[in-house]
Amino acid sequence: MSEMWINMGPQHPMTHGLWNLRVRIDGETVLDVDPEMGYLHRGIEKISEDRHYNEVITLMDRTCYVAGLAWEHLYIIAAEKALRIQPPERADYLRMMCEEFQRIGSHLMWYAAFVQDIGLMSPFLYGMRDRDLVLDLFQSYTGARMTYEYMRVGGVRNDLPPGFTDQARKVLDWLVPRFKEYDQLCLGSDIFHKRCDHLGVLSASDCIRHGVTGPMLRSAGVKRDLRKNRPYSLYKEVDFDVAVADGADVTARYLVRMEEMRQSVRILRQVVDWLDAHPGPVMAETVPRWMGAPYAPVGREGYLLKRQYPKGVGFSSIEEPHGEAQAYVVNEGGEHPYRVKFRSPVFANLSAARTYLVGYHVADIPPIMGSVDVCVGECDR
Amino acid sequence: MSNVTLYSVSYLLSDTVLRAIGSVLPRPLSAWITNADLITGIAVLVFGALLLAASMLNTIVLIWWERKLLGRFMDRRGAMHVGYAGLLQNFADGFKLFRKTTVQPRDADSLGFYTGPTAYMVTSMILFGILPISSGWNSGVLPLSLLLALAVFSFAPLFIFVSAWSSNNKYSLMGGMRSAAQMIAYEVPLLLAVVAVVIVAGSFDLTTIVYEQQNYWFWGPLVVALVVFFAGMLAEMERIPFDLPEAEAELVEGWNTEYGGMLFAFFMLADYLRALVGSILVVLLFLGGWTLPTWVPAALTSFPLAGIVWFMVKTYIVFGVFVWIRASLPRVRTDQLLRVGWNRMIPLSLLSVFLAALLVTVKCLPVFGCVPSLGV
Repeated sequence: MSEMWINMGPQHPMTHGLWNLRVRIDGETVLDVDPEMGYLHRGIEKISEDRHYNEVITLMDRTCYVAGLAWEHLYIIAAEKALRIQPPERADYLRMMCEEFQRIGSHLMWYAAFVQDIGLMSPFLYGMRDRDLVLDLFQSYTGARMTYEYMRVGGVRNDLPPGFTDQARKVLDWLVPRFKEYDQLCLGSDIFHKRCDHLGVLSASDCIRHGVTGPMLRSAGVKRDLRKNRPYSLYKEVDFDVAVADGADVTARYLVRMEEMRQSVRILRQVVDWLDAHPGPVMAETVPRWMGAPYAPVGREGYLLKRQYPKGVGFSSIEEPHGEAQAYVVNEGGEHPYRVKFRSPVFANLSAARTYLVGYHVADIPPIMGSVDVCVGECDR
Repeated sequence: MSNVTLYSVSYLLSDTVLRAIGSVLPRPLSAWITNADLITGIAVLVFGALLLAASMLNTIVLIWWERKLLGRFMDRRGAMHVGYAGLLQNFADGFKLFRKTTVQPRDADSLGFYTGPTAYMVTSMILFGILPISSGWNSGVLPLSLLLALAVFSFAPLFIFVSAWSSNNKYSLMGGMRSAAQMIAYEVPLLLAVVAVVIVAGSFDLTTIVYEQQNYWFWGPLVVALVVFFAGMLAEMERIPFDLPEAEAELVEGWNTEYGGMLFAFFMLADYLRALVGSILVVLLFLGGWTLPTWVPAALTSFPLAGIVWFMVKTYIVFGVFVWIRASLPRVRTDQLLRVGWNRMIPLSLLSVFLAALLVTVKCLPVFGCVPSLGV
């Protein structure tokens, strides 16, 4: 066969979202790739400028469909810095719990999609089944399974329902043996190693050159995790290890994500224990009334009032399940943020596609892209 | 009841129906319609219709069986709502596909686009006229029935490639290429594994091969051949881990990407027909066909149509193993598949031929007993 371009996307089972990977192939060999993003661009940054600080949270859930709470967390930290509001300690722990559960949920979703890409059928449903337990937990305290709108500037919307921590411990106890099962299904299979070893190699220097972060960076042996390197929230209070692997290939990324889930379980056990032992307020008292206090609907006049608030900017960067996400919120004193800017890790990870795809086979594209863990929502914003 | 054969059943049906019609008709017409030649002719048609109905019904039940098994492997229940335990789900699906419009891509080649799936299904169905299901339940004594079955079985890559090429889609073309490469690569070890069986049984006739297994089923002494045959069948059926021609993740749906509605149903049906044939061949060649070992109590083998029942049980268990493999293994890559095919499977199949020759020379095995046809 002569060389030809094929479009893998925007409607293609490999993409797991709405983007297009143009591939130039010769027979089964990939000669060149050209990732095209932007099909899902919704202008979230611009829309944010017309919304109250708390209303932006709604958009954050829509930014990434598997990691909504992590993105809420990202935005909330930046917004609180811009508004100079300090959340109570319990709220911070609740947010950490949200983020870690979200990490498990997101990685389980990744696992399900990834094994589907290499043709494993049953683990796909195992991953989805176990993710459902995490979603059930979310539902029990946020009321939603995907669009949570749980965090607020100055705290979180509501405290946990009674009995939640026991339920959470039960889920964690269920999950830990499942991770072993996943490993048996994948790492125990020779075909898995045949398909994934030495595939999609992206060395540490290439990762840094392209701004690739998250599990992809750690799979190249770089021990960088913002929860450790630049602790935000109260991550310095909890004890955990950074998951690192050598190899920089698809298998290494698998190992890193699996280990991250185990570490998340470790963090969650500590956080849940803390939450049990320390009841308290979940909302800061200094939140201005027009921002919306917990449990009390905001009066109409609150929104209309042109309240002057000290100006400021806030920057945050968190270790989102896909990588390092960053947010920049400019507060010019109005009710709305003047400018909001997000940095999506997936955008950088995808943009480096040429580096880790060229030279492999067409059949290698799904496992490699699967190991990148694409979430187009947050990539295009 | 033990001497009921497929032909006697169809003759009985034809005879009864035609005589019933003849009894109400006026004399000259009645004499013509109850003519022995006509009854025999209609009996042949009934014979074909019975085979067709049985193969279709079995295929549909096979799909149900796969869905239920796969569901259980995946910690869910599979089809549940249409009919008892979802038994009628496939009829509903088939009816839905039947009603759908067939969309032909603008630049597709009509001739290939339509004849490809049709020929694929027809050749798959011809196989059922060749395979014996039980003693007497076949379409007559064909001395080379195994050879004929494998020859018809290997038509498939041609029709797949024709339909893929005429779809005018890059994914289809790649899927078609892969399919052709894969099927041709696995045809060779498959045939060599069959040669091992033929050497031991001393016949190309499937019925004879089954009766040669009265002392021991061939899977024991010919276990290498069984492994090769099983893997080769897996590749011929294009099931996971060898389903790369329709590798969903990269090729959308492979060679049948552009097919929808009834043409897609043709492909789907033919795939399962071939899966059924594959399982049947494993049972016939290695698992003693419709016979049971002699130590089994006679009550289990003497009830009416016992042969067919045991044959179906074995076939569905073998297919269950295929489903099990599908539920637990990832997909391999084309180059890996071809490398395994040419570098591992062919030497293995040659080894199995050698072992079979050795077995025939030795004539008797300590555990398994003797080869009956060699007169020891």
